[in-house]
Amino acid sequence: MANRAQQRREARKSGGSDMTKFYWTLGLVAVIGVGAVGYQVASHKMGTAATAPVDLKGLEDPTALMKAAQAITKGDPNAPVTILEFGDYECPACGTFALTVQPQVEAKYVTPGKAKFVFYDFPLVSIHPTSFIAARAGRCAVDQDRFWQYHDELYRNQNSWVLQANPIKTFIGYAKDLGMDADAFGACLNSDKYADVVTANLRLAQQLGLNGTPTIMVGLEKGMPKRLGDDFSYKAIAALVDQVLAEAAAQDSAASGGS
Amino acid sequence: MAIAVMALIGFFIAFYLLAHSLGWTGSLLCGVGNCERVQQSPYSHMGPIPVAALGVVGYAIMLVAAFVGIQPSARESRAVGGVLLLGGGVGFAISLYLTYLEAAVIHAWCQWCVTSAIIMTLIFLASLPEVRRIRGA
Repeated sequence: MANRAQQRREARKSGGSDMTKFYWTLGLVAVIGVGAVGYQVASHKMGTAATAPVDLKGLEDPTALMKAAQAITKGDPNAPVTILEFGDYECPACGTFALTVQPQVEAKYVTPGKAKFVFYDFPLVSIHPTSFIAARAGRCAVDQDRFWQYHDELYRNQNSWVLQANPIKTFIGYAKDLGMDADAFGACLNSDKYADVVTANLRLAQQLGLNGTPTIMVGLEKGMPKRLGDDFSYKAIAALVDQVLAEAAAQDSAASGGS
Repeated sequence: MAIAVMALIGFFIAFYLLAHSLGWTGSLLCGVGNCERVQQSPYSHMGPIPVAALGVVGYAIMLVAAFVGIQPSARESRAVGGVLLLGGGVGFAISLYLTYLEAAVIHAWCQWCVTSAIIMTLIFLASLPEVRRIRGA
């Protein structure tokens, strides 16, 4: 009996350092576990809104890029002429264009079904830090079929949110002002939803070699679209659209004359 | 000792999955497999209880039992041995069933669930020597 007690004492003594190691290991696992899970929960609570382009693989392939990039279209999808805009919500010229020129273009060409207006995001993230999340906000408005209203709202209030480091609350406020479901909009904005689409649009613009916003192009279903220069006035755009429409008419008559 | 450490790791994995099913986290970090598909399948809940909650409770029991089991005073406790062996066995059986569901029914893998199943298997293996404690040394 005494022998056994002595054995146990010795075992305890030699096991002492093992126990210390064990407690350290257990403590380390606990710290890592609490840290990792805590971080996941906390970062979600604070909202992990995607504010920068994300890594997308396989976009070197032009077909994949065209599929991943998604435009927002206004007007008759079968209209012969397409007016493309690559826009950045932080760019003042885009704002002027969207609020003053675009309505005139729409009245003259889009509403009568001569042309459709197509918008691609082109956030110039290196000079406009909140342009990416603004583009995502526009996309979140698509969920509630309010893209164009929201697009205009962002441009109208450009001066009040561009200087904010984190305009998420302001953006949710605009959604509320427009009578949208602010909770759903906020959930969308406070996630990485549409980060992939906006990134793909941005990559498309880069692939096309565009270097400024707005970039406006006018084209037909087939062939290369014509790019508008640096004059974004209604006059300049109308002239280009009329030119493309005339070309389309000439092609049509040539085709019907030839047959 | 090994059981306690593994049970603690398993506890955190299960807790992470539970936190996700309660909506406390964003999307699961999922390198390989399709965690969302597994988590959103009807098999992620048993009735109203998320399977991850069973994991949290199960691992917690194993952790406490293993912790008590290595105290010198409990060296000959049959109860502790029984809890460890039974818990390890039941946990292993549940893990086996869940892994079967992932493979054959849901057709999607969730790396956290697989990791948990592996840990539970190791715990089960580590709990086998408890037979000696139950028989009495």
